[in-house]
Amino acid sequence: MRWRHLDRSLVVWILLAGALLLLVVNPLARLVWSSFQSEAGAFTLANYAAAYGRWRYVEALLNSLVIGLAVGALCLVFGVPMAWAVSRTDMPGKGLVWAAILGTFIVPNYLGAVAWILLAGPNAGWLNRLYKGLTGADAGPFNIYTKTGLVLVMASYSFPYVFVFTRSALDLISSEMEDAATTLGAGILRTTLRITLPLTLPAIMAAFIVSFLEAIALFGVPALIALPGRFQMMTTTLWEFFEFPPRVQVAAAYAMPLLGITALLFWLQQRIIARKGYVALTGKGGERRLLRLGGWRWAMLGYCLFVTSLSFFLPMLVVLQAAFAKAWGRGFSLDNLTLGNLKFVLVSQPITRAATVHTFVYGGVAAALALGLALAIAYIVQRRLVPFGRALSYVAMAPFVIPGIVLAIGFYAAYTAPPLAFYGTAWILILAFTTRFLPIAYANSEAALRAINPELEDAVRILGGGRLMAMRRVVGPLLKRGLAGAFIVVFIPATRELSSAIFLYTTGTQVLSVLLFDKSDEGNFEYLSAIGLILVVGTVALVLAGFRLVGRDFMLRRTTA
Amino acid sequence: MDIKRIAITLGLSLLVSTAPVAAFEGEQQLYDAAKKEKEFTWYTAHYGSETAAAVCSGFEKKYPGIKCNYIRTTAQVAYQRLAQDMKANLAVASVFSSTDVSHHGRMKQDGWVQPYRPKNLSELIDTFKGFNDPDGLYVATAAGLVLITYNTTLVQPKDAPKKWTDLLDPKWKNHVSIGHPSFSGYVGTWVVQMRKLYGWDYFKKLELNKPRIGRSINDTVTMLNAKESWVAAGPSATTLQSRDKGNPLALVYPEDGAILMVSPTSILKNAPAPNAAKLFEEYLLGRECNEIMVKLREDSVNKHVKPLPGARSVAEIKTIRPSYDEVEKGIPEVKELFRETFGI
Repeated sequence: MRWRHLDRSLVVWILLAGALLLLVVNPLARLVWSSFQSEAGAFTLANYAAAYGRWRYVEALLNSLVIGLAVGALCLVFGVPMAWAVSRTDMPGKGLVWAAILGTFIVPNYLGAVAWILLAGPNAGWLNRLYKGLTGADAGPFNIYTKTGLVLVMASYSFPYVFVFTRSALDLISSEMEDAATTLGAGILRTTLRITLPLTLPAIMAAFIVSFLEAIALFGVPALIALPGRFQMMTTTLWEFFEFPPRVQVAAAYAMPLLGITALLFWLQQRIIARKGYVALTGKGGERRLLRLGGWRWAMLGYCLFVTSLSFFLPMLVVLQAAFAKAWGRGFSLDNLTLGNLKFVLVSQPITRAATVHTFVYGGVAAALALGLALAIAYIVQRRLVPFGRALSYVAMAPFVIPGIVLAIGFYAAYTAPPLAFYGTAWILILAFTTRFLPIAYANSEAALRAINPELEDAVRILGGGRLMAMRRVVGPLLKRGLAGAFIVVFIPATRELSSAIFLYTTGTQVLSVLLFDKSDEGNFEYLSAIGLILVVGTVALVLAGFRLVGRDFMLRRTTA
Repeated sequence: MDIKRIAITLGLSLLVSTAPVAAFEGEQQLYDAAKKEKEFTWYTAHYGSETAAAVCSGFEKKYPGIKCNYIRTTAQVAYQRLAQDMKANLAVASVFSSTDVSHHGRMKQDGWVQPYRPKNLSELIDTFKGFNDPDGLYVATAAGLVLITYNTTLVQPKDAPKKWTDLLDPKWKNHVSIGHPSFSGYVGTWVVQMRKLYGWDYFKKLELNKPRIGRSINDTVTMLNAKESWVAAGPSATTLQSRDKGNPLALVYPEDGAILMVSPTSILKNAPAPNAAKLFEEYLLGRECNEIMVKLREDSVNKHVKPLPGARSVAEIKTIRPSYDEVEKGIPEVKELFRETFGI
């Protein structure tokens, strides 16, 4: 039988395509279709005319594009040097830096935005008051309600993507290539810029795309900063279409060009990296030694602490003050201190506890599903096991760019009617989170796999092992640390995902993000901060424990005892 | 919670338990029928999540055996969810409460709701009676006020604005906080009413003071607490809740009238639990529920339930409010004007 000789990859391909069809194509197709539908269901282009017929709608879209690019660029400036320092140098305080980056990633971004309003509000921001106190000036220099302010806040919360992606890639590069450069007379800087970082280009570009897309699709932060700053973003404009009477079809039409932009970015990325090789990990094994930076390691630590101060330590000061304050508007004072907020959200409100459990379970399952799926697709695409693999990868990247609120509508349409009646169960949330963050998992997996030389798997196959064995025994262990990172960059966004959750949860499936958003909507900053604090402490502990389990960096095993 | 608040709460609950509670006619039959339905779901945008939870558990205590499930979100999200349910032919919610009256008007038009005239209507504060649907398809069950709020560490009571036009005084330049009519029905109604009283010129002059424009009306509470703004056009309930914790906030009931927000409740035609829904609507108008609401600083709609110290009853102050038609027609208009004037 000829079938026996066919690689089982075809079956796998069909399974994966089926999964993508269910998770991505089905809801997205419904959205595309609805963007061409009138209220009565007839074909029309009127939605596009309504969505792009006004200059301010177009202007908001342009604002989002420009700000998204700026955020992506700033994320690279923040994230790449830090990833390099943590992965490849002897910089001190790595644990602290890593914990602060994790913390940054966990804090819900609208909580961070409120904290930044307190820090850099033009009238009464703490930093402005400090500046005035020190210099005697009338006004402080900081104003968060500007485009620059918005870029800074959004980049502060997105650069962890760059850090995690780049670090995973750097962890796979052995020191041999750097040694070669050094032997030929290049210094540390030249080696890093010409050898090390270019090898991680696929990862860096993937991270740039993810940060850019997230900046475009974010609602909470622009609502808090752009509106008072008197400019519109795509997501704040999108909200208009949900006003009464809601025009879901127009909203869908408005979000459609983003799919095109994603495809374009992705295509650009492929073009840039297609003709070069990025294989860092070969069968010859490798070893990684830490670069000795000398006095510069302190400068590097200074930079890391500067960035994490912006993203974590400074906002955390505000959050801590509010979480332990009876009334945060009264500021610091001893008689204003209380444990009541923490007690209230932990003990008195049973719903918070249930929601915490849901959040972690749904996020964990969704992250595992997304990662498994992403890895399988990335592997098939990378190793060119099937024709049209590229198509799969476009589909896998598509959902991220559709704003969650619009995506939720597609989900609702896709999963409320038989045969997929998931509404009211946890599955609709889990599947929504899986779909929404599949692109992050995919971008990460693809960049990671690109670094592994296929000869390793070929060796397994020559020795009689199957592809699955190659994945289980060779690729898996090699990627273990990188995958732990990938799990985090999917798990954490899933725990804070709001915009799709708010439409899909029901009684009994509440998640923390919805509770948090309610608190922010109610101006209840004390409880909001208390929940935020619990989230940060809990998740950082969980993640660090997880890393213990995963084990040490295998390439460093020879140099660290 | 400080001792004073506990004492007040205890005192109130004693009052409640000793005072005879007026049961309405047919309560027992309705309760018996509702018990067979076991549970019902309530989509609500009326108050914060804590108040919604307290209202629900109050109901479960009063009528054991019926479970109250609530989905508390903003008005737009609540309506969008319901619209999706309807499109998918799903019967999930039995009771629907939006803060946007046009939602209820539209639901009536689309035939999504069923009529019910609660027996407890006699308990409703008279001010609200004119807002109920003449055909009984929605009934006012919650209220709120938009008024002037300020930070007491920055503004002395004697200097605080007394009426809406005082917000135009140049001394508040860069220190006024307001919400956005596109994101908040409260703000939208306030803007419609201001235009009705003072013409659109009011907002052109307000723009000279460069107000800080947030999203929801509750954002003004954050702005005042952060000292980023000194005075605001803010909500009564959220501001008082924050003040009860000790935040330096105060209310002014404007001389030219606080804007009264009336929020209705409807029973859905396809309600899976119609009897529980009716019983719940009675409960929303009754004393127990309104006692719970005033404790959490929401305004009472029951004429026998008075607010806690620091707030005044809607029945006693000057309130103003555009009619339903004015709101429905006016809000889309003022959104456009607002964008023109404030550029956002």
